[in-house]
Amino acid sequence: MRRTMLYLPGNNPNMLLRGHLFGSDGLIFDLEDAVSRSEKDSSRILVREVLRHSGFDGREVTVRINGLDTEYWRDDLAAVVPCRIHGIRVPKVDTPQTIRDLDDALSALESRASVPIGATKVFCLLETALGVWNAYDIATASPRVTAIIPGGEDLAADLRTSRSKEGTELEWIRRMMIVAARAAGVDALDTVFPSVTDEEGLRREALFTKQLGFDGKSVIHPAQIPIIHEIYDPTEAEVEKARKIVAAAREAAARGLGAVSVDGRMVDLPVVRRAEFTLERAGAMTEGGAR
Amino acid sequence: MSSGETLPAAQAGTVESMDCLVTIAASSGGRRIEISGSGAARFRSAMENKIIQVLDSLGGPGDLSVTVQDNGALDIVLGARVEAAYLRFREAMLR
Repeated sequence: MRRTMLYLPGNNPNMLLRGHLFGSDGLIFDLEDAVSRSEKDSSRILVREVLRHSGFDGREVTVRINGLDTEYWRDDLAAVVPCRIHGIRVPKVDTPQTIRDLDDALSALESRASVPIGATKVFCLLETALGVWNAYDIATASPRVTAIIPGGEDLAADLRTSRSKEGTELEWIRRMMIVAARAAGVDALDTVFPSVTDEEGLRREALFTKQLGFDGKSVIHPAQIPIIHEIYDPTEAEVEKARKIVAAAREAAARGLGAVSVDGRMVDLPVVRRAEFTLERAGAMTEGGAR
Repeated sequence: MSSGETLPAAQAGTVESMDCLVTIAASSGGRRIEISGSGAARFRSAMENKIIQVLDSLGGPGDLSVTVQDNGALDIVLGARVEAAYLRFREAMLR
């Protein structure tokens, strides 16, 4: 479940230690943009120590490392991979080769730290036009890749435009991201909504990305979490409908029938799969709120 | 080092909530640890032990002055800040 993944600045002990209390599905310890060049070394150590000694209530924990075009990324990986995190969020992935290079580095570190090879998943940030164009090839470059995420500000700059309230500049990219992610069998996660005080704008954007098929959204402020959960969680009516569909499909299967009608509509396999997905989300909701 | 020479020193951390600012400098006459701020009164002994443990694990020399300005840092944060300050200090010494 990746409805929300909260960015936490890598040099802020307060946020790193308390961030999981805000109820997001996942946490992103940020060693990249949230950390100035002069604090890269101390943040890396701090994040490593927090990862080693904290539990985060079982949330999915990832670390955004510095890009593979910087001098920092190898040290970032060496610090956090032995901590058995769920994944690495990699900025500015342009080509599948970036993922293959990362895959090799991760395997070497996992082997040295007795972490099962392949355990560290990769979340790819596609923040350039080239990265977006190569989305499917990037998503299939390694079995470690578990999600692709369009960029926000960096991508807008690379497209020679700027971010608008309406998100016009990202509209086609978001649609393409869904197609690439589904074709590759990975999650599509949306970029952050940068204006933390614009609740209406966040709702509008989250409704749009949910309808496109996104699995969730990155967040930069705890106040954004309940809004996105409310939108991404199935409604009671959706859950009820899904229950009916799954029950009817099971009954049909038991009677050896291929398709069945529910409330006057033919239900076939894709509809059943969608209903099961809805129930899965609803089950996770009732089990523990955030997860 | 001659008396007119500036002794290398390095810092890590902040004075924000749940953090601490650690300053490490060369000194003569063994390790000196000074702690001030919110944890100083109640946790001095545990904090000193943590500082010594981290410095020893990094092979830190005996002649060091460690100053901590604490604002409620947990043990793991103090350790991280001491490690970062010491590694910066060591780099400054090599320059």
